[in-house]
Amino acid sequence: MGQYLPLITLLVLTGVFGAVSVVVSRVLNPPRPTEAKSSAYESGITDITEPPERFPVRFYLIAMIFIVFDIEIIFFYPFTMVYSELGWYGVIAIVIFSAAVFESFLYLISNGALDWGPARISRRSVIASDPDRTSTTTVRRVGADGRAFALDGEES
Amino acid sequence: MTVDPTLLLAADGPVTFPILPALILTPLLGALAIFFVPARRDDAFKQIALLTSVVTGVLSIYLLTAFETGEAGFQFVVDQSWISEFGISFHLGVDGISLFLVVLTGVMFPIAIMGAKITHDIKSYYGWLLVLMAGSMGVFLALDLVVFFLFFEVVLVPMYFLIGLWGHGDRIYAATKFFLYTMLGGAFMLVAIVALAILNQRGVGGDLTFDLVQIAQNQAISTEAGRWIFVGFAIAFAVKVPVFPLHTWLPDAHTEAPTAGSVVLAAVMLKLGTYGFVRFGLYLLPEAAHWAAPVMLTLGVIGIIYGAICATMQKDLKRLVAYSSIAHLGFVILGVFSITTQGIEGGILIMVNHGIATGALFLLVGWIYERRHTRQISELSGLQKVAPVFAGVFTLVMLASIGVPGLNGFPGEFLALLGAFQTARWWAVVAVIGVILAALYLLWAYQRTFHGPVTPGNEHFRELRWSEGLVIAPLLALIVFLGVYPAVMLDRMGPSVDALVEHVDEQVDDFERVEITYVGASDIPEPGHDDDSDGPASDEHGEEGE
Amino acid sequence: MFGLPTQDEPIPFDELPLDDPLLFDEPAGVVIPDIEWSAIAPNLILMLGGILLLTVVSLVRGRTPSWFSAVWTISTAVFAGVTLVPLWQRVQDDGAESVMAGAIGLDGFSLFVTGVMCLSVVLGALLLEGYLRREGLAGPEWYVLLLLSASGGVTMASANDLIVMFIGLEILSVAVYVMAAMHSKRVSSQEAGLKYFVLGAFSSAFLLYGIAMVYGATGTTNLVGIQQFLSETVLTQNGLLLAGFAFMLVGFGFKVGAVPFHNWTPDVYQGAPSPVVAYMASGVKVAGFAGMIRVFVVTFGPTYGADWRPMVYALAMLSLVVGSFGAIVQTDVKRMLAYSSISHGGFILVAVAANSEAGTAAALFYLLVYTFMIAGSFGIVTIMGRTGDGLHALSDYRGLSKARPGLALLFTVFLLAQAGVPFTGGFLAKFYVINSSVSQGQYVLALIAMSAAVVAAFLYLRIVVAMYFDGNTYRGESATLAGPKVRIPAAAGVALGIAVVGTLWLGILPGQMTSVAGDAVAQLVAIGP
Repeated sequence: MGQYLPLITLLVLTGVFGAVSVVVSRVLNPPRPTEAKSSAYESGITDITEPPERFPVRFYLIAMIFIVFDIEIIFFYPFTMVYSELGWYGVIAIVIFSAAVFESFLYLISNGALDWGPARISRRSVIASDPDRTSTTTVRRVGADGRAFALDGEES
Repeated sequence: MTVDPTLLLAADGPVTFPILPALILTPLLGALAIFFVPARRDDAFKQIALLTSVVTGVLSIYLLTAFETGEAGFQFVVDQSWISEFGISFHLGVDGISLFLVVLTGVMFPIAIMGAKITHDIKSYYGWLLVLMAGSMGVFLALDLVVFFLFFEVVLVPMYFLIGLWGHGDRIYAATKFFLYTMLGGAFMLVAIVALAILNQRGVGGDLTFDLVQIAQNQAISTEAGRWIFVGFAIAFAVKVPVFPLHTWLPDAHTEAPTAGSVVLAAVMLKLGTYGFVRFGLYLLPEAAHWAAPVMLTLGVIGIIYGAICATMQKDLKRLVAYSSIAHLGFVILGVFSITTQGIEGGILIMVNHGIATGALFLLVGWIYERRHTRQISELSGLQKVAPVFAGVFTLVMLASIGVPGLNGFPGEFLALLGAFQTARWWAVVAVIGVILAALYLLWAYQRTFHGPVTPGNEHFRELRWSEGLVIAPLLALIVFLGVYPAVMLDRMGPSVDALVEHVDEQVDDFERVEITYVGASDIPEPGHDDDSDGPASDEHGEEGE
Repeated sequence: MFGLPTQDEPIPFDELPLDDPLLFDEPAGVVIPDIEWSAIAPNLILMLGGILLLTVVSLVRGRTPSWFSAVWTISTAVFAGVTLVPLWQRVQDDGAESVMAGAIGLDGFSLFVTGVMCLSVVLGALLLEGYLRREGLAGPEWYVLLLLSASGGVTMASANDLIVMFIGLEILSVAVYVMAAMHSKRVSSQEAGLKYFVLGAFSSAFLLYGIAMVYGATGTTNLVGIQQFLSETVLTQNGLLLAGFAFMLVGFGFKVGAVPFHNWTPDVYQGAPSPVVAYMASGVKVAGFAGMIRVFVVTFGPTYGADWRPMVYALAMLSLVVGSFGAIVQTDVKRMLAYSSISHGGFILVAVAANSEAGTAAALFYLLVYTFMIAGSFGIVTIMGRTGDGLHALSDYRGLSKARPGLALLFTVFLLAQAGVPFTGGFLAKFYVINSSVSQGQYVLALIAMSAAVVAAFLYLRIVVAMYFDGNTYRGESATLAGPKVRIPAAAGVALGIAVVGTLWLGILPGQMTSVAGDAVAQLVAIGP
């Protein structure tokens, strides 16, 4: 059991640190939200449109492709260490593995995942839509309340 | 369900072809033929159905003539292995107990097909009727527990569709209720069957088998297990009979079913339960059946009285007949669970005769409904003046149902009561009231329907057509013939029933066998069936057995 | 994973020199396993078929006819199925064996399950063909995923090692998660995919945790090793092992949709594309049960059966009751069938709880019949969903018997078979299960199972009523409802044909298949024959 003591200590310390952080932040900085403070800009001005936070989805794709190849590399490292011991068996195994990874790469290229330039419409498809979903049901109007408040304020 | 032709030759007896599989396969082939004939050939379906059902009926009557009178065992036995892993085989056979139920099935189906008109979905209607016929035949012929169960359950499907598609009123409710009630009973029975086979295997050793005869002869299971298993069987059969607390599906199903459905339901389907009690209660589990007899007798008597009282109060003619069925089948239960030769013989007689008489009643009520589009007793009046022949036929059938001596209802009820008086006197005493009540509700209904002034709407009540007369004539003939000469049945079932009672006697320790001599059906001396006059237990003649 | 402990006499866990640094520092040397390719041929064919299909369609993008992928998939599955025959013969003649350094078991059980998986791939692909065309979805990907997931399922069923089994499970599951979400035009499909993925990943974690605990308790992940260890060693403290059982049961229970781990089933079945549900309900469930039986019945059954049986017993009972009662209050046919599949799962769990060879055979037979029935049922649901795959309310089936009598009759056959009506495979499957259960003395469970079947029958009758009795002619009155207009794609028709023939064949002439199921015993043998 003694050998686990550091582990348990670490576990306890982690918990304690988390708890202390939460408590201390509450004590030092008691939350007193006001309308202005909780709006997007603390200047009190309500935002008219939602902040543009869109990224081309292609970035995600690149990131995911990167991860796949990254992990492939991770498998290559140990292979190089025991390369001589494994002999042909190891070579064949790693070739099968690489083939599977490159196969998916092939698929990605074929589907235009790495095509730059203007977006190519590869498929005609209607965007996913559900008649029950409208802008009012799904989009949370951030700051709409504040806006109404502000308008009232201006009028009065 | 292919049958190996070499094994078909295994059927013994004078019949040189496998008559029992033929009884099941003929209607099934008819159903297949109907399935493959295009739907627009509306006229062909009834002809195919009629042809195959009549052929089956003729085969069943041929079976009756070829049946070896005076033998107790199973005849025309066919044994074709089906699932060898579990020792399940298509083991078919008839003895004196099932013989008449097979013939009843063979006779009633053609009559039901002829006697009722149908206006829509003609193809599937006749198809389902033939499937139902095959299934009913299978139930009475099966000597393997699983095969029995298969047929017992499979008849639900055609009946469900018959009620649901061609029924009246609240037909879907009635059909669903019918299906679920019976299936629930079947659930208990399946577990009981499997448990019985496995315990039998443990008791005897050897391979697993579901063979009825083997298991019944081995009697290798413990008393307690046997009783539990009996309860499983009893629930299934009690639903099907139906015995008093489980009967509520019957009035609905009977009332909403189309005419042919009601006829078949009353004549054949209700017998599956009572037949089951004889075959799978007394024969398979004699000890447990003897143990449960007081409860079953009580339920039977409750059924008799309850059915009669309910029938008295019905405003719907068809519902009245339905409730009268409950009462009649109560007599069967009473007779069977008296466990005397007379009682069981009486029970089987009632099964057959109730099939004939109630089947005929349902036909007649169906015809009334066709003419007047109502079954309410209050809306019918004075029909006797408008349609005297119809009224005459109705009278005869009704009297048979009441159990008037000379007609076929009488011998069965008499024998059942006679048997019950030996071993279950007080139950029998109460049951006799049911006989009187039967006269009350039927005569009263007859009086309100056929007598009295001709009320508006009934003036043009159509007289019995020739075609209808021809359909019902065989039933009328049987009603009179079996009432006057029931010996034709008693002689054939006697040895089997005797053997059954003897089987119970051997297996049950505290069973006191009661035998009485009676003058009547079996007073024709028969070799091997010499009237019980000097039987071993004849000294108990007239004494209370239990 | 590579080989068993080399000691002749396994050392009891307490005495294992785990703290001996030499044990771990000593260079073990790489043992190169002897790979017998022919033994894993069906699995290889399925996997290579999937990968090759993806390669081919990537290379000639857009130039393959639309039927190409379906035909490829079906031929691959059929080919894999054909290779089973010599392997089956080999197993029956020479007995079961372990291949791939003890990681894969070649026995009747794994071959039977492989066959059922191939069957469900064929049926799924046939249904997909018309579906993708109708919905206007492009998609060799669907077929690729189908084949890959089947390969995962086969791996799972034949795994002789918990790690291999887990890998198989993941290959199977990940592919199906994606397939559930692949209908890009339906939000509910994506919702289903996400739900399935999140909950499935959660359950996989449970399984992995359980595997770790079992490894901790026994010192190996190899099923043969575990079995040997447990039969030769009496554990003084088995808390870790029992906790491992519980966690693994959660993981498997999730995959097979056993109550109380069933909550994803109705939502996912409702939302996922119908042909995928057909595959999910048959193939995935088959693989899940195969894994469960392999681990619990075969490995832990002889020694620790008394410990896990009550748990499976409870799962079975709950699944039966909740599945059948939950089904009857639904109004969406897909949800109904989802609940009824939970109830079916309960039935198979009854066979698993029997913890016997007969129980295993019963479960296999049930799974085979179930594949036919459920693929047929969801095949009809696929057709009836019509464009958009959204018309699944009970009322959408009204009057089907008028518009499409053949389709209505087929659906009736499938539903009645599911209810267990005689002369259909469904009855014999139930009979087989009841038989195995009663022979282990589980009378109460058998009764509950049969009663639940009756309750479930009510649900099937509701669908039949909708098809036949609603809007039908009544006493000569003309029908008020014309019934739904549906088009049956040829491939889907073939799938329904196969399913109905299978359902009836197993009900009327089951002798052959019951004996095959009886021969499909699961065995754990050490490496090599």
